[in-house]
Amino acid sequence: MALENERDVEAVAQCLSECADAVHERIKAAIKNREIERDQAQSLFQEESLLRRRANGLYIDAAKGVVAGLAESQADLLAAIDNAKEQIGQIKEVARFIDLVADLAVLAAAVGAGKPAPIVAALKEVREGVEAMNPQPSDVV
Amino acid sequence: MSIKGCIWAVLLTITLTGCANLKEVGDYAEESARFSAYTELTTRFRDTYSREQPYLVGEARQLAQANDSRRKAAYDDLLTIHKRVTLYMQTLARLSGEDTFDLSENLDSLAGGIKEHPDLGIDKKQVDAIAGITKVITKWATSSRQQRAVREMIQEGDAPLQTTLQGMKTLVRYYRATHENERKTVLGLFEVELPYVDDPENRLLATLARAHVQSKEAEYRAVAHRYEDAEQGIERIAEGHRKLVENIDDLTSKAVRDSIKRFAKDIKAIRKDINKLEG
Repeated sequence: MALENERDVEAVAQCLSECADAVHERIKAAIKNREIERDQAQSLFQEESLLRRRANGLYIDAAKGVVAGLAESQADLLAAIDNAKEQIGQIKEVARFIDLVADLAVLAAAVGAGKPAPIVAALKEVREGVEAMNPQPSDVV
Repeated sequence: MSIKGCIWAVLLTITLTGCANLKEVGDYAEESARFSAYTELTTRFRDTYSREQPYLVGEARQLAQANDSRRKAAYDDLLTIHKRVTLYMQTLARLSGEDTFDLSENLDSLAGGIKEHPDLGIDKKQVDAIAGITKVITKWATSSRQQRAVREMIQEGDAPLQTTLQGMKTLVRYYRATHENERKTVLGLFEVELPYVDDPENRLLATLARAHVQSKEAEYRAVAHRYEDAEQGIERIAEGHRKLVENIDDLTSKAVRDSIKRFAKDIKAIRKDINKLEG
């Protein structure tokens, strides 16, 4: 199982880090007791540093494992987001429909009054309203 | 009671029960969306090499360099995880927002449009009365629709969200462990080298080194808090969402709203704490 693998990788990385800690304590004690020369201390510290870099490399492996393991959840989360957005989109459509009815009422009034200018203006509003409800390029005028 | 009074009583009831009262859910989602500690720590994780590079030599340096390119390659994927959680929370905030399902403005403009034209032969007073009732009924219809939409989103999103948040917590743990190795290398170098230069001849060097250690220690102390805060924040976001699921049929009750409010407050407080540390 993938998760078990990450746990194992993390455990090894942690183990390497702890080994490095132990090496470090040993170096410090040796320096304090004047047991080692500077170049020896440096090469031991170099070993310690190498252990830590190896551990850090394993943490990257583990992180990649976590990312891979989350792929399915990420897709499911996206589905939940999309469904919610659809709900919001639907209510926006209702809002646009009400606006369209308002425009139609105005158009009806303009036609009733028989004045060309308001009719043209109202028609334009209605057309825009229809287009807002069907947001696709219309080449039919 | 007269018929008119009856109608008003009914309308009043509808108005009161029609109120969606999802403000706390929205606030929680908004605060969760604004919680960016994970992304900041991911960036810090990516930049590990640029900070530790001066303190490394030989094989360790080569290995660190290889790690560096692998971290950089993984960076986008690590961020995407958080981006999706943020998008989820932003959408939940919008879905539960007061204005999202509000059609009263559209209905007002409808009534206004009709009133402007007496030629239609509709009495202004009638228009106002009908518009008023329509608004109340619409509010009731849309708010129950909104509640249902919010409930559905929370139920559908919970399982993937919880898994994702747990994954983020695990990643923060790796970031912290990587950070610890960096800290111990940088500070450790001085613990090994300083004793050999601690004599009058090298006073200047030893002093500079000690001053450098001091500032590095302060830097690492400040960063260590951020890992804790990030873990705590992610955990509170997860708990908050669990609370929403537990009370899914009762989201508008006062007790539930109060407890959700606390989650939003906690998440905000942790975020503020992180900002303070940075500032």
